[in-house]
Amino acid sequence: MSDRKLPRLLQTPAVVLLLIWMLVPLSLTLYFSFIRYVLNNLRRPEWTTPSFSNWRGFGNYEFVLNSKDFLFAIQNSLLIVGSILFLTVILGVLIAVMINRAFPGQGIVRVLLISPFFVMPAVNAVLWINMILDPVLGLQGLAVNGINDLIASLQGAPGIGWFFSLWPDVAPISFRATQTSAYAVIIMVTWQWTPFAVLIFMTSLQSEDQQQKEAAVLDGAGALSQFRFLTLPHLARPIAIVVMIQAIFHLSLYAEIEIVSRGNGNKNLPYLIGEFANNNIGAASATGIFAVILANIVAIFLLRMIGKTLME
Amino acid sequence: MAIVATSTKFSIYGRPVLAWIVGLIFFFPIFWLVLTSFKTDADAVKPEFLIFFTPTLDNYLNMTENYDYWRFATNSVITSVFATVFALAVGIPCAYAMAFNPSRATKDVLMWMLSTKMLPAAAVLYPMTFLTKSLGLFDTHFMVIVVLMLINLPIVVWMLFTYFKEIPKDIIEAGQMDGVNTWGEVKEILIPLAWGGIASTALLCFIFCWNEAYWTVRLTTTEAATLSKLIEGNRAPEGLFFGRLSAVSAAAVGPIIVLGWFCQKQLVQGLTFGAVK
Repeated sequence: MSDRKLPRLLQTPAVVLLLIWMLVPLSLTLYFSFIRYVLNNLRRPEWTTPSFSNWRGFGNYEFVLNSKDFLFAIQNSLLIVGSILFLTVILGVLIAVMINRAFPGQGIVRVLLISPFFVMPAVNAVLWINMILDPVLGLQGLAVNGINDLIASLQGAPGIGWFFSLWPDVAPISFRATQTSAYAVIIMVTWQWTPFAVLIFMTSLQSEDQQQKEAAVLDGAGALSQFRFLTLPHLARPIAIVVMIQAIFHLSLYAEIEIVSRGNGNKNLPYLIGEFANNNIGAASATGIFAVILANIVAIFLLRMIGKTLME
Repeated sequence: MAIVATSTKFSIYGRPVLAWIVGLIFFFPIFWLVLTSFKTDADAVKPEFLIFFTPTLDNYLNMTENYDYWRFATNSVITSVFATVFALAVGIPCAYAMAFNPSRATKDVLMWMLSTKMLPAAAVLYPMTFLTKSLGLFDTHFMVIVVLMLINLPIVVWMLFTYFKEIPKDIIEAGQMDGVNTWGEVKEILIPLAWGGIASTALLCFIFCWNEAYWTVRLTTTEAATLSKLIEGNRAPEGLFFGRLSAVSAAAVGPIIVLGWFCQKQLVQGLTFGAVK
């Protein structure tokens, strides 16, 4: 067999499978986004089967853009993704720098730290919203009760009682409520993905130039300026990669949002698509195309960065 | 020594202590899940039994009656194992060809594969439901396996490619000189040399399949439903079943966390596509 033919043949199954996987559903989404297509409509039964005769042009896109949920979903997507990125990168850098140097039990601490990353999203959400954040039965509720009991008992204490009687009762926060459910998602996903950031920053720190650091120390650089002028620039690339990979994953968060509040007060684009898909397939598809565009903006930057190191 | 100069009291005592505290904080929710799983449903919500309680195994022993756990677990195992095997079967030849006979298009093909991973799943939610239903494949193991395999194939090819690339080409060429055919090359040279890489790729792929929570939830109802679907379906017990829900959750994530401990290094490579070393 010739030199060129066999390698190509070996790649064919993977390429063909991925091509089908990418093209077929996506072209259907594109098609549905330009037609009127609903699952139930008694008055216009012809809209319940996809057909070119129901062509709507950009009507679905207009409908989606004008719906109040769309703007909310975009804002919410950005709030959730932005907060998670901010928290995971800051925590990740601090923790990675902290545990990078050898200390007793470093291996165990690493294992403890990385564990949350392997928890399946559904369990993560159920665990946090019920066992930890629940305002009555979770640890939050118990902690708040404990604090209130402590304040109440101190109010009766002689001498300092007047001071504590000025304190109001601490009220627990219900994380299933409309305004707070997004924060619950941010907390649980940050818990899960900080380990990922730590792991990547640690890997990168191991390749940091130690001689350069020693030279800096000899020149009298303090720990803080070492961090600022040597470590942070060294981490710039890994930070960028962590940000982009997480952005792609978190733009499609779904299970956590579903479990925390069923999207109540906390919709992102995937959730909105799921809601539209209960009936209005045209709108769901148009929203899907918007989601693809949003993800692509991030993906282009990420692919460029990865492409640079690819053939080294 | 330069190191001595920076060794303040903090870096000798404070840093390890702080590191341990942070490690324990991050592990605490998992510990709490496991602890709660040994409480009865009634005890689990009583503050007086917060830490001291009479442990019971009932929640684990009754997982079948309470949740039909083993059926979902079996589905998770079947779908994850087969998806991983198929992904490797398709991925190994592909990565092999890319690593040892790269053409000008190889880089672009790799990038393109990666880009399929970045499509938001929700964008094709309805078309996928539509297609699987019209093909009669909704809620079947086959469909879940195919989807899990396809969403992980790019990562599998990438990881294998980065491992294969490290193998010196001379070894393969020496084999060709000796008249070994391609299948022989793969069997006699490649697989023994890249065994570690293939194993960790398989492990990581398996973990991703196990934890997948979008398609496994949206494309199944009962027959092929996995553990993600089981937990998602019992999401809001309002304090009624904390004990039994903890047990079933701990059983669903426990094995995977332990597996995960063994592939920390590969995780970095697999998730950053070799861009962070």
